[in-house]
Amino acid sequence: MAEIMSSEVVVIGGGVIGAATAYYLCREGAEVMIVEADDLASGASGACDGFLSLQTKALGAHLRLAMESAKLFPSLVEDLEVDIEYRPCGGLILATSQEQMKELRARAKALSAEGLEVEVLSASELKKILPEVGKEVKGGSYCPLDAQVNPISLTLGLAHKAQEMGATILRGCRVENIVVTNNRVREIHTSAGSIHSRRVVCAAGIGSNQIGKMIIVDVPVLPQRGQILVTEPQEPVLPHIVAGAEYLGTKGNLQALLPAEEEAMKLGLGFTAEQTKSGNFLLGSTREFVGFDSQTTPEAMNAIARNALRFLPWIKDLDVIRSFAGLRPCSPDGLPILGTVKGVKGFYLATGHSGDGICLAPITGKVLSELVLDGETSLDISPFSLYRFK
Amino acid sequence: MKGDWEKVWEEARERPVALVDCRQEIPCNPCEEACRKGAIRVGEDLCSAPVYDPGRCDGCGRCVALCPGMAIFLLDRRGGDGQAEVTVPWEMCGEIVEGERIWAVDGKGKVLTEGKVVKIKWMGGRWPTRLVTIRIPEERALKVRGVRFRENSVGSSEEVDQEYDLPEDYPVCRCEDVSREEVLKFLKMGLRSLTALRRSSRVGLGYCQGIYCQEQLRKELGMVTRRSEEETGMFKVRPPVRPVKLGRLGGVNG
Ligand SMILES: Cc1cc2nc3c(=O)[nH]c(=O)nc-3n(C[C@H](O)[C@H](O)[C@H](O)COP(=O)(O)OP(=O)(O)OC[C@H]3O[C@@H](n4cnc5c(N)ncnc54)[C@H](O)[C@@H]3O)c2cc1C
Ligand code: SF4
Ligand code: SF4
Repeated sequence: MAEIMSSEVVVIGGGVIGAATAYYLCREGAEVMIVEADDLASGASGACDGFLSLQTKALGAHLRLAMESAKLFPSLVEDLEVDIEYRPCGGLILATSQEQMKELRARAKALSAEGLEVEVLSASELKKILPEVGKEVKGGSYCPLDAQVNPISLTLGLAHKAQEMGATILRGCRVENIVVTNNRVREIHTSAGSIHSRRVVCAAGIGSNQIGKMIIVDVPVLPQRGQILVTEPQEPVLPHIVAGAEYLGTKGNLQALLPAEEEAMKLGLGFTAEQTKSGNFLLGSTREFVGFDSQTTPEAMNAIARNALRFLPWIKDLDVIRSFAGLRPCSPDGLPILGTVKGVKGFYLATGHSGDGICLAPITGKVLSELVLDGETSLDISPFSLYRFK
Repeated sequence: MKGDWEKVWEEARERPVALVDCRQEIPCNPCEEACRKGAIRVGEDLCSAPVYDPGRCDGCGRCVALCPGMAIFLLDRRGGDGQAEVTVPWEMCGEIVEGERIWAVDGKGKVLTEGKVVKIKWMGGRWPTRLVTIRIPEERALKVRGVRFRENSVGSSEEVDQEYDLPEDYPVCRCEDVSREEVLKFLKMGLRSLTALRRSSRVGLGYCQGIYCQEQLRKELGMVTRRSEEETGMFKVRPPVRPVKLGRLGGVNG
């Protein structure tokens, strides 16, 4: 506890959101310190899929935020030294009933009205871009702007570049308290000593509620478990990121698209599949509220496998070599919580990204850096204010 | 299970016998299909651990070759001279030869003892697998789960530590084909936890779930951080501990 450090800005959390925030702050010349309790990408950002999916976002502000974020990825590919395995591959959502098709059609129309190109495909049209699907599949919607990235490489790449630009990264260093005097952040107490700083960004994922308590603000972020199966690597055979309509249902809590079976409902089961650059299939996933437990369970593994075979029966002979679970930093409405808090100057929230943090990381980093350094943002972030919940 | 092992230990005096160390309750059953003597039964519920009757086993070794989790071994104590012959599956690409001295390692890749390769046999299966039989002091025999080349090994004995100077292109993880150079790259980027190192370098994310590479990775990390192996910790093995077909896991055709 001897050492006293200081930094212009402290970012709490070395997940994708903290790393992106540090990166954009450094680009503006700020002095930044990332304080990470464990290691980079040790939280949700290292235990998730790499969907950069626009058509799954909630209509309105959420979608606009995601579309702005999507525009930033190509510049990151250019600027970062790590290969983030970005692939502008387009994304599919598959329907297994006519009701789901109807819903996808309605959504496609609404999304198009907001400027996102989405095409509805009949079963035969679907065949042209995804040759083999299960018998149940009635068609789907295709969004050419959907893409894929390696979330771990993205997090590492952003943090590494920030470091190159002068950021300090404290690993294995937990924030234990935040000292506020005269309504302003002054000091951050950590397990490795104190840091003098007048600006703190909370990007602590599921640790954000705890951080909020330090300044007596309730940050409603709960861990939501998601489980994923990993198969042995294969030649590239899956050209797009693919999800089932129920994934949309459980994610956005859309009544018409929720799974019918009780067990699936309980697990929050929704089909997702992507093939990574290394060739492995990642098959997802679940949405469960089980506290901070990040174990995988046999029931969920069975259910994910069974569900995946409904959509892509031809993968049945692949070996599942691993499973993992991550905890999404979930907000009550699934939208991120961005912005300042009342009564504590110099404290900023960049959390609650729920199931979309990878996709939203670049734009979050960018607007947060603007907010911290200039006090205003190039994009209206008021829909993501903490105070929308009150 | 313990009772089984005593039985195996006894029977191994007469003939080679299988030692089934499948503790994880995961959906998997190639061993049942492998055994023509009906010595291994998994039964209806694929998730239950196999039930094994050493009395029926004739030591043919088919299950050793077919178990995707490398969880079955053969034990042979016919020599009666305090030495035992243990047969383990070898799915690495390196060349292993009869007569060679190698390390016998436990389930976590820790060196148990030195041994000599007395027999190498190919056996069919999903991939043809080599069954490597080694001769070691019998008191270590029940713990052996694999073998490792001596010159590449970084075990606990002093002699090994001196041999640490590995080339940069040394494959730390064979399942995922990751070289030492790549691991060092991530260490240079500043990663300092085993989990983060594993996630980014992919060492330990392959078929073997780290049995063969975990030790090496911890060593590399320890060299940089000067932390002891206890402090570095071990990584979590996530089910399925043994690879399993998606169709089987999903209950199709199974
Ligand atoms: C199964 C699954 C699939 C997903 N799929 C996708 C997808 O396809 N696309 C997508 O866009 N998103 C996806 N997500 C969501 C995405 O992973 C998250 O939204 C995102 O990773 C959140 O990033 P974060 O930086 O906010 O949190 P995290 O990555 O969890 O980082 C927070 C960090 O803060 C640290 N921390 C916490 N408390 C403290 C403290 N007191 N002091 C210091 N450090 C602290 C933690 O150690 C952690 O490293 C998925 C999530 C899961 C679980
Ligand atoms: S060694 Fe042969 S006989 Fe013995 S259990 Fe294995 S398959 Fe059956
Ligand atoms: S892991 Fe091996 S021993 Fe265990 S059930 Fe599968 S084949 Fe049988």
